[in-house]
Amino acid sequence: MRRLLPIILTSAALSVGAIANAAEPVAVSVLVPITGFLALEGIAQRNGAVLALDNPPPGVNVAYQVADTATSPEVAVTALQRALDREHPVAIAAPIFGTQMLAMAPIANRAGVPLVTVSGTATITELGHDVVFRFFPTDAVVKVAQARYAVQELGARKPAILYQTTAYGQSGHEHLVRTLKTLGVAPVLEEAIDPGIKDLVPALERARAAGADSLLLQLHSGPTALAVRQAHGLGLGLPIVAGSAMHQPTTAALAEPEQLKGVCAETASSPVSAASPEQAAFVETYRARFGSDPDAFALGQYDGMAMVLAAVADGARTPQAVRDWLASHRYSGVAMTYVSDGTGNMAHDAVIVCYDGMGRVPAVVKRYDAVDGVK
Amino acid sequence: MIEAAAQLVVNAIALGAVYALVALGFVLVIGAVGAVNFGHGELVMLGGMVAVGAAALLPVDTALPGLVVLPAALAVMAIVGLAVAGIAYAPLRHAPPTSVFIAMIAVGLIIQHGVTAGIGPEPRLGPPLVDTGVLQVAGIGLSHQQLATIATAAVLILAVHALLQRSRFGRRLRAAAQDPEMARAIGIPVNLTIAVSFALSAALAGAAGLLLSNQYLVTPTDGGMLMLKAYVATVIGGWGRIWGAVLGAFAIAVFETLVAAWASFLVAEALLYLGVLVVLAIRPQGLFGEAAGRRA
Repeated sequence: MRRLLPIILTSAALSVGAIANAAEPVAVSVLVPITGFLALEGIAQRNGAVLALDNPPPGVNVAYQVADTATSPEVAVTALQRALDREHPVAIAAPIFGTQMLAMAPIANRAGVPLVTVSGTATITELGHDVVFRFFPTDAVVKVAQARYAVQELGARKPAILYQTTAYGQSGHEHLVRTLKTLGVAPVLEEAIDPGIKDLVPALERARAAGADSLLLQLHSGPTALAVRQAHGLGLGLPIVAGSAMHQPTTAALAEPEQLKGVCAETASSPVSAASPEQAAFVETYRARFGSDPDAFALGQYDGMAMVLAAVADGARTPQAVRDWLASHRYSGVAMTYVSDGTGNMAHDAVIVCYDGMGRVPAVVKRYDAVDGVK
Repeated sequence: MIEAAAQLVVNAIALGAVYALVALGFVLVIGAVGAVNFGHGELVMLGGMVAVGAAALLPVDTALPGLVVLPAALAVMAIVGLAVAGIAYAPLRHAPPTSVFIAMIAVGLIIQHGVTAGIGPEPRLGPPLVDTGVLQVAGIGLSHQQLATIATAAVLILAVHALLQRSRFGRRLRAAAQDPEMARAIGIPVNLTIAVSFALSAALAGAAGLLLSNQYLVTPTDGGMLMLKAYVATVIGGWGRIWGAVLGAFAIAVFETLVAAWASFLVAEALLYLGVLVVLAIRPQGLFGEAAGRRA
């Protein structure tokens, strides 16, 4: 991360990655939030995109620029318009922040330029803009996996759900409750928590008082770590199945291994778990380049940009051609196989990872493939 | 049940103690210059990050790491406070208060983005003041960190109170806040007094950041949330009132823990802000009156 300081500080400045090749370069823009409250995920996105763009397939020559979209739709739209005017990209690595995606999608749609993102906001692929491609499973996939694992594998019958008051938290909560209902389970507690709340003990005590037999978390990184630490401190003794924040190495770093024992999480992938040789190689390359461990957001964005480059290598050299290629092809990425469901949702698999109490690297314990029925 | 309630009370006191330090530093600047330091939350966050960084330099087996780091956090943040006074207040001291608080917002954003760019956006875990042990008293688990947090915050609050009420600096500060021209005319170094109050405010922010960083982590974007708590504490307690702000901070902690445990976080938050509205409507100067200064 520290090695990226010059890039972060000059995020709007030009950075060019290319390989020596006779082919005419294609432009790609990387517009992600590298400052503000989504910087953790945005920087992971940026790193994943840059890693893919720095290593294009043979015969492909890429020029790319990185710009910070910060935390407002206005900044994101300005960055998009500038990129469209000046760079003429064939594709754009677009923000994880759904609010920004909703503002950018109509503009990108008019320009016909595909937006490649890992944003989880469901509506970005539901508004008829056929340029949005999401390389991270939606809540309709990962929350189903989370609920199924808790009920079917851990035997949860009286789960308590702690979720953030943000759009991320509410969407996840809604899908969790819906899936639990289909499994014949009703939560004994549903507690909404503002991200600014530091002491989660009141919610944990209420879960205990309600007779909960498990905790399902849909919290951001810091609150997830707080919940795990404080549950351990209280001696709650309940199995925890957390949202994707818990798989992030930066979240695990905030708890001691013994505090993590028995804690599980849903995610699209867990690169540090090195579930395949390809993922192990990705982690090694990422560490060498950025000095930190990658998470599923980095890998999803990497796979997304790698698929864009595969399209270019296959002869798609205009935004429309790249869009059509993404919409019509199946791509075997490092995390999973991607294929569009017709609306731009490319990822349909989820995994459950669990910590064994001995370290901070979780193991993949369960796979849920084609959860939404798309194969 | 009783154990759980007692645990929540201890949590409320520990959290309130830290919020009180945040609010105390915030009120000091209001008292000194009559303007709101909207960058105060970022100073707390920066203090936490300084503590994290300083702790990383200690040998792994250092005893009482947080207490060892505390003087460094106080000193570094005092220097930062002086810099803030020199950059964001001194050039604007004759400008309307709005100019000062916009400058403070800018300082806060620079600190937040600077930290993100410098060390990354991820949450950090600060050093424990003493150790990670737990003291069992009548079935209640009192973490050493909580007890040390309460004790440290209490010492700092009482020290600041003594400094302001019983020292020449305190009298100068109050004089400079009430009538800067008259204070200057009788030989009080007003600018120096204000600069020292900024340094003291930032040092307290540093202490609060350190205390928060172990039990509640510290994230570069925490500043806004902390600033809001300090502002609400001040509104409840009284504009410029030291003890009012401290009590206001404890009120916030009570809502965040005890009321939240009784109802829910959303209900607790709604009741807290309803209470703030009632205070503003019935007693706009706050529960303990207005000491000096004007609202920016």
